[in-house]
Amino acid sequence: MISVSKLLCGLDAEGDGLRYDAADESSKAQIRERKQRRPVVVWNCTKQCNLYCDHCYAAAETEPAPGELSTAEGKRFLDDLAEFGAPVVLFSGGEPLARPDLVELVAHASDAGLRPVLSTNGTLLSEERARALRDAGLQYAGVSVDGLRERNDEFRGQEGAFDRALAGIEASQEAGLKTGLRYTITRHNADDLEAIVDLLADRGVDRFCFYHLDYGGRGADIQDVDLSPEQRREAVRRVCEMTREYHDRGHEIETLLVGNYADAAYLVEYARRELGDERAERVLAYLRRNGGDPTGERVADVDYQGNVHLTQFWQGYALGNVRDRPFGEIWTDESNPLLRALRERESHLQGRCGACEYQDVCRGASRLRAIAASGDPFAPDPQCYLTDAERGLADESAGTETTGAAD
Amino acid sequence: MPAPDGGTGPSDGPEFERVDEPRGDRTREWELFVRESTDESLRHAGSVSAPTAAVAREQATTLFGFAAETLWLCPADETVRLVASGVALGDRAGEDDGIERDDASEAVRDGRAEQ
Repeated sequence: MISVSKLLCGLDAEGDGLRYDAADESSKAQIRERKQRRPVVVWNCTKQCNLYCDHCYAAAETEPAPGELSTAEGKRFLDDLAEFGAPVVLFSGGEPLARPDLVELVAHASDAGLRPVLSTNGTLLSEERARALRDAGLQYAGVSVDGLRERNDEFRGQEGAFDRALAGIEASQEAGLKTGLRYTITRHNADDLEAIVDLLADRGVDRFCFYHLDYGGRGADIQDVDLSPEQRREAVRRVCEMTREYHDRGHEIETLLVGNYADAAYLVEYARRELGDERAERVLAYLRRNGGDPTGERVADVDYQGNVHLTQFWQGYALGNVRDRPFGEIWTDESNPLLRALRERESHLQGRCGACEYQDVCRGASRLRAIAASGDPFAPDPQCYLTDAERGLADESAGTETTGAAD
Repeated sequence: MPAPDGGTGPSDGPEFERVDEPRGDRTREWELFVRESTDESLRHAGSVSAPTAAVAREQATTLFGFAAETLWLCPADETVRLVASGVALGDRAGEDDGIERDDASEAVRDGRAEQ
């Protein structure tokens, strides 16, 4: 997760301590100290969802699935996370609001010392439920909207989903919850990006997370609607421009990019071009502290059956199961050669990722996409849109760019 | 030795219980064992989701081919799993909650889960 607003506009946010080891520089309450060494844990607490989205990494279904952790198991699991020192638990799904015990679980997480946050499609988020979640200790609700009305509803498989998500956002705000947008950028909705931010910013939403498509679950089936390198570069440039324009007008929105750490390198290049060398060096220093792609290190996922995954998008492989063994013992067991290699991936990355100048702030980006494209966990990420010159791989005068258009 | 059906073990040892919660849903899950060199034991290295043994083999070699000299794959639903009493999450969690999931699921399908 890369905060464009922090890096380009200096916006202060609660997550900076986690993302940039910058807690001492922030005036906001920070998630910090020992917990920064532990992963943020996404818990897909149910596979059931009332929608059927084209890009769902969890391949959620409208019917319930067998083997969901019970309330009692969920609470014990949350205790294990807290004892391990996980800083944040993100309740996700499926649709987490499909669980009737969600409020109880959020309260338990909060009481255990975890920071509970929610990822939801928003359509089941009534004012009453939002207030109950707030009272239970929920710290943030991220609502997924993937385009303006028509496009979102087509993508999410249900007419009316857009209006119901907006009602959910309003309910969350009414309850006083910090509320943000989650938006997965594809060829279908890239054109709606500014319009959706304008619409929601007018309604008081001030946090916008833009996700790159990862090739997990049903996301693997729609690679044909993924952005080309040129389109991706342009979309990220627009996020940078839009963020700066909002801040220039005095509206301090928070914007984040998720799921492709080539963005880190792009932001350094963008800052150098638009804001000068000094700012670019500061951006680079922050990103080095951030540490690049977090797979298997700073982010973990536990599915509805208790299987532990390397990220939420990588559901096809599990390190172990929390029903057998506490999460922390699974996560720290480096007898697993894949886990070990991901944590020392600098010595395994190949091709242009192996020699890239920005390897320390990107770390090869998505290994899942590398596998989808080439069958090799250490091959280059096919979504990289940096030019060879930016990667430091070619003589700039030779003009040997292989991907990515100039701005 | 624990009884293979998950019954109790010898009187001076721990009691073992059979674990039968599913590991996967629509797609079959395969327990994966890896050995990096011949002087080591096979170690459990998680599981892969795959509809057939051939796809499971492909997944396993993709993920561990760079390091493994031996890979074993066992269908999770045909693996007898036993765990000593008090170790499994369910045991540590205490009694089940009695949530009626069927009722809740109907509410989600009907769009009234917020009540």
